[in-house]
Amino acid sequence: MSKRNTAPLRSPGINTVQINAAREMHAQTVRARRMPIPAGSITASSMTAPVAATAVPPRHICNNPNNPPCVSCGSVIIPSPRATLPLEDNPSISINDWTISSRKKPILNSQELDVWETEKLKGLTLPEMIFGNNYIRIENPRLDWSIEFNALDALKNVQLQDSGIRVAYSNDWINSKRKQNTSGTGTAQRFSNDVSADSLNIIHKYDWTYTTSYRGTENSPESRFKLDNDQTLPLDKLAVHDKILFYDDMILFEDELADNGISILNVKIRVMNERLLLLSRFFLRVDDVLVRVYDTRLYVEFDENRVIRESKEYEGKYHDVLAKHRLSQSHDPKAALRDSNWVAQNTPMIKRECETIQF
Amino acid sequence: MMDLDKIIASLREGKHIPEETVFRLCLNSQELLMNEGNVAQVDTPVTICGDIHGQLHDLLTLFEKSGGVEKTRYIFLGDFVDRGFYSLESFLLLLCYKLRYPDRVTLIRGNHETRQITKVYGFYDEVVRKYGNSNVWRYCCEVFDYLSLGAIINNSIFCVHGGLSPDMTTLDEIRTIDRKQEVPHEGAMCDLLWSDPEDVDTWSLSPRGAGFLFGKQEVDQFLEKNNVELIARAHQLVMEGYKEMFDGGLVTVWSAPNYCYRCGNVAAVLKIDDDLNREYTIFEAVQAQNEVGNAIIPTKKSQMDYFL
Repeated sequence: MSKRNTAPLRSPGINTVQINAAREMHAQTVRARRMPIPAGSITASSMTAPVAATAVPPRHICNNPNNPPCVSCGSVIIPSPRATLPLEDNPSISINDWTISSRKKPILNSQELDVWETEKLKGLTLPEMIFGNNYIRIENPRLDWSIEFNALDALKNVQLQDSGIRVAYSNDWINSKRKQNTSGTGTAQRFSNDVSADSLNIIHKYDWTYTTSYRGTENSPESRFKLDNDQTLPLDKLAVHDKILFYDDMILFEDELADNGISILNVKIRVMNERLLLLSRFFLRVDDVLVRVYDTRLYVEFDENRVIRESKEYEGKYHDVLAKHRLSQSHDPKAALRDSNWVAQNTPMIKRECETIQF
Repeated sequence: MMDLDKIIASLREGKHIPEETVFRLCLNSQELLMNEGNVAQVDTPVTICGDIHGQLHDLLTLFEKSGGVEKTRYIFLGDFVDRGFYSLESFLLLLCYKLRYPDRVTLIRGNHETRQITKVYGFYDEVVRKYGNSNVWRYCCEVFDYLSLGAIINNSIFCVHGGLSPDMTTLDEIRTIDRKQEVPHEGAMCDLLWSDPEDVDTWSLSPRGAGFLFGKQEVDQFLEKNNVELIARAHQLVMEGYKEMFDGGLVTVWSAPNYCYRCGNVAAVLKIDDDLNREYTIFEAVQAQNEVGNAIIPTKKSQMDYFL
């Protein structure tokens, strides 16, 4: 993205456009989080009548006073933000001493981008879409520990040096310019007046793929995690379809790499009665060059106060991964390369780390 | 001759257009576009519109908020297709308007109006989904090759999709390009559709290893050399719908509200009056659902799932 030198002038006060935009955004965020309701199962009257007691008595507390009744607790909590201006959409739930909250807002505006670019992330040309006010936070005040996933800290992890990665046609592009620059006739002469040899060197040094191995931001300056690569996530427990009490799924940042692929960081979380699982996934595809998936899974077992964080990095050459699809089936191979799940399953893992905290 | 008004009405409702009709539309459009220069001449008053990206319903809002093609002259800065769910309808609607009101609609080629890009970013898939084959995509790509590369309003405002090129710094040079081809990976034609303004001192290579960045100096030189006062371009998402840079010498106009159905941005069009005054009209995305909860726009949103 380019520098935001001049912010567009807006009239003071809140105009209609903004109010409508806020309303629509509010409606969208609420809808996005709502679970599909099976036809005919829930009506206004059935909401008030408690559903037959379930095996597990509910123990979670919904921290949003305006939420629809939790129907102790036959139905999923649908965090219901209050329609205020500025829009407040901040659902939250507590189980034991654990509190999980999230926030979803539109992409950063020009003023915010200006601050990020000139102060918070100096030296980085920012990705096109930054959902910089979004976060998912997991905290336990009694244990004095919290972890949050947000775009700013994720982008702080992006290297401020040349990644060495180039788009597929980079060589052709640069060579054609060089040739033009050294031959000395006609248009080429004009060209060399405008473009010096320096223009073919990269001046802005940063990783334009926005690769980040971000694993979340802890509240303590020193991480409480201990490396223990023999640990694994308890997949048996996670495979059980316990009722999901809280769910959110959000993008933290995204860039289309000037139509050379995609770079996206997505975080999602599901909270059940006894545990939670969060997946933070960085997905990179540089068309005809490479793919990367950096996954961080965070698992919390509430009653045991145990946290496991597993990070896996997958990386492969674009055409190697594409070839795997051709071996299996070949409807639209490139569609598979747009699906981060498929890519993660078909790309070699180059690194795995597992950390735990036992409070 | 085809009944354009009827086709326009169908398109506005998002209805299926027979392959044969698309073929004739595309053929007629090529004949019309063939006669336009690389840099189309446009008179004021005119409304400049940025990226559309297949957001048909928002395109309809755009027309509604800015006067409509019956009363208003328009320049579209390209990127009609890809990303959104209605690339085909959006592009065909613009073509129909172009055929129906040739002097009121100018279409400029964006970097998405190419075979290579549409194959990856949605348009190709959309056509195959809607027709079961790619013929319609092929017809549209033929039209892409005939789109103008830029426009000049009253000899004072230069319109282009991406930005400037160091290879060709005057309008007369741009007029000499043989544009009737797939956009090449390098050269002036490529730069015009791809380059970006940045806070740089001189022409700079993008860190991606291809494509130019240009700064205030390059813009000032271009304005002076060509005796124009503004470069209007699109190509980059702006939360507020538009952004002026370099002391007002360049503006980015973005006309796809809530881009990709998830960014929450507003969109803008820029009206230039006879005295070259600039007036921005801001508009927002249509609701994804109507009052009774039926989807107007299919959503990509992820549903709650037991991910592992």
